[in-house]
Formats: sequence, structure tokens, C-alpha cells
Amino acid sequence: MRNVKAIFKKQFKGTIQNPETMIQFAIFPALAWLMGFLVVTDFYGIPYDIAAMMAANMPNMVTMQATIFAGMALIPVVTSVIAGDVERKSIRFLTMAGVSPMSYLIGVGGVILLAGFASSVAFSFIGGFEGRDFWIFTAAMMSGVAASTVLGAIFGVMTSNQQSASALSMPAAIVLGFGPMMAQMNENIARYLHPIYTQQLNVVAEYLERGYSGTPLWQAFAIMWANVAVICLLFALVYHKKGLTG
Amino acid sequence: MISTSMKNVSKAFGKNQVLRDVTFETQAGEIFGMLGPSGAGKTTIINILTKQTSEDSGTVRVDATSQEIGLMLEDDGMFPTLSALDNLIVYEDIYGIPRKRTKEVMEQVGLWEARKTTSESLSKGMRQRLVLARALLHKPKIMFLDEPTSALDPVTARGIHQLIRDLRAGGSTIFLTTHNMEEATNLCDRVVLLHQGKIIEQGNPKEICRRHNSVKTVDDLESVFVKLTGGGLT
Repeated sequence: MRNVKAIFKKQFKGTIQNPETMIQFAIFPALAWLMGFLVVTDFYGIPYDIAAMMAANMPNMVTMQATIFAGMALIPVVTSVIAGDVERKSIRFLTMAGVSPMSYLIGVGGVILLAGFASSVAFSFIGGFEGRDFWIFTAAMMSGVAASTVLGAIFGVMTSNQQSASALSMPAAIVLGFGPMMAQMNENIARYLHPIYTQQLNVVAEYLERGYSGTPLWQAFAIMWANVAVICLLFALVYHKKGLTG
Repeated sequence: MISTSMKNVSKAFGKNQVLRDVTFETQAGEIFGMLGPSGAGKTTIINILTKQTSEDSGTVRVDATSQEIGLMLEDDGMFPTLSALDNLIVYEDIYGIPRKRTKEVMEQVGLWEARKTTSESLSKGMRQRLVLARALLHKPKIMFLDEPTSALDPVTARGIHQLIRDLRAGGSTIFLTTHNMEEATNLCDRVVLLHQGKIIEQGNPKEICRRHNSVKTVDDLESVFVKLTGGGLT
């Protein structure tokens, strides 16, 4: 626990001193709000009620931005933080001091989860979710944030420097971030992406929007947490394989 | 009492044989120097002793757990955006050390005034001292110092030498690598001369000089090394 606290403190100080990282957590909810606002109000020359009907048939802007945030924004952020620690050999010194892979992951990931929680709450708020739905959507977002945090950590540990880390993480981030957006427009894509955690954010949002019908919530959450478990296992394997376990 | 030892240790990276049948031991509470030119295998020996890489053959013994070891390597491992003090606080928290000790160590290396400066803004010499401060923060049983004074000005280097002597006086074993023969002569209780992964001589530096008739106005370990290796570039 002492080690987790030490890494959390270090990461917290490092993150708040880094505006480039902080902006990632604000820009996506801001974009979601702006896009949602523009879709309803800015169909030029179309009466408001028709525009609202058209908007209702368009992909959900908040869900779209939320999946892009959970998939695309977070992975490179975490990858960059950890690849930096690997490149500077900081992880080596931490390991020698007795910091285990899990302590390191929980410490670094804890800060990302905390910032991700603030963004998730913002998404739930912007999405107009209320009461129980608010917390269900926030919990779904947090599951996605957790999966992306650990996935980003894997890419960070796998590489030897920040440059190659971003080259490795970006393709995965794009698929995970934009895949669910395409799934909103194409059922086949939705079917193929069903086992992926970011697609389950779509599923949860749809379930809430339809008034609790569709794929049951427990199934969506089970898929997301199965993703988290598999990714955590992969992290432990990669960390060990890289010889960072001391 | 033996602090670290290697017996018939060999190591290769691919076809490159880095260590050949290396055997030595260090005694607790001594300053032990591993000398040789770049590429001789000094850093590999530290990496094996600190379990960062494994030996291909032979036996290795280190009388300390990884938490009882202090490390100063070529890569400093500092967090660049954190201040000098915050960098040490990370390890203070991990080892459960009181802030008083952190302050004491920072004063010892002359960095207390610069404690709020980010580590990326420190000069090379100051950063070396910060790395040394981190290595000795938890009062380690054994310290491994890889080229601790390389690229430092003579005044800073002397300051670090004094710190190393103080650590020995406090009971720590110091294992340092260097290619600076004069530094080794003046600082080390015993040295090993390493050439192309093989030990070519070991003992007290002054005795080695006398053994090879290389005592001038000062003991000249460098000319012993040149004599033993032929002196050409390899």
C-alpha cells in the first residue's frame, strides 16, 4: 500500500504539472457538449421539430465522444507516461526499491482513473442521464477507462521509448475509439465489435435510452470486466517478460 | 566478511562475449573499484550483481536484498518534471523514511538550496549528486556506482569522492566502476583491472603499482594497465 501511495503521489504531481495531459480529460466532454448542441440547434433553415427528429436518428454524439475518449484519448496518454518511465529507466529504480508491477500500475492508473472519473461524470451529465441512469453510464465509462488505462500501460511497458510507444498505441486507440462510432452506423461492425469494451459503452447507452430494453446490463458489464481481466493478465505477462520484476 | 562475489562468471550478448570467467569478491565495508576502458564489461558486472541481467555460467552472490542496495547508473531514472526534492520524496515514501533524513541527505550532497528546481533543469553535476542522494537515502548496505564522476568537473568529483569515503566510514560497501585510474588509485581499497571481459589484475591499487614497478612521484595505475594490455585501441 505504501508503494502504491508513493507512485500515486508521484504521478499526481507529474500529471497536474503537465497541461498537455490535463487537456485530454477536458477536451472530449467539451466536444461532446458542443456537437450535441450543434446537432439540435444548427440544422440551417430546417424547422426545430424536424431538426430534433433528424438528430434523434443520428448517432448519439455523447456516446460517440465518450467511446472516443475511453478508447482513443486515454491509451496514448497512459502509454506516453509509462514509456517515459521505461525510457528513463525510472521503472528499473522503482523495481529495485521493491515496487511491484501491480503497485506501479495501480499508482499510475489510479491518477488516470481519477481524472477519467471526472470526465466520465461530465459525459453522463452532458448526455442528460439522470438518477440511476447517471451512475450506470458513469460506471460503464469507468469500466472503459480502466480497460484503456491498463491497455495503455501494456504499450508503455512493451516499448523502449516514447516515440515507438505512440506508434504502437495509436492504431489500437483508433480502432477502439472509432470502431464503436462506425458500429452506430453499421450492424455488421456492431456485431464484430461486440466483445470489445468500447462497443459495450454503446450497448449500455442504447439500453438506457430505450428505457431498459435490449442487451441486459449485466452482460455488457461482464464483457467489459472480462476485457479488463484479460488486459491485466497481459500487463503482468509483458512486465515480467521485459524483466522488470526485479 | 564477503559482500559480493563472482566465481567463473561468463556472459555473452549474441556472439559478443562480454565476460570471460570472471572471479572476484568484495569485502564488507570496503571501496572496491572495477577498472577498465569503455566496453570492458564493467556495467555488465553491475547489471548481473543487481539482477538486471543474468549470467550465462558461474555463480554470483550478493549479501543484500534489492532494497538494501543503492544504485547510481548511467541512466539516472529521475522524473524530469518533478523537483529535486519531489524525486527523493518518491523513494522516501517507498522506503518509509522520515523527511528529516531526506533533508539531511540533500544537505550532504549540497542540493538543499536547489530542492525546488526540476531535475531536468539541474546541471549535469547537480543531477549526479541528486542520483547519489537517492542511492544513499535508505542507508544501503551495498552501493553500486557506475562511473560516478564521469563528465564532472574536478571540484564536484572531489566532493563525490568525499561522500563515498563518508559512506564507507558509515559501514557501507562501495562497488564502483571507473575508467579513471587516478580516481581508483586514490579512492579504492582494492581494484580489479578488466580488459575485454577478463580480469587481468586485482589487489590494492598501490601494491599493484609497486608489483609492476609503476610507482612514479605518485602511484601510476594507468601505466600498469597500458603495460598489461599493450596499450592499443581494441
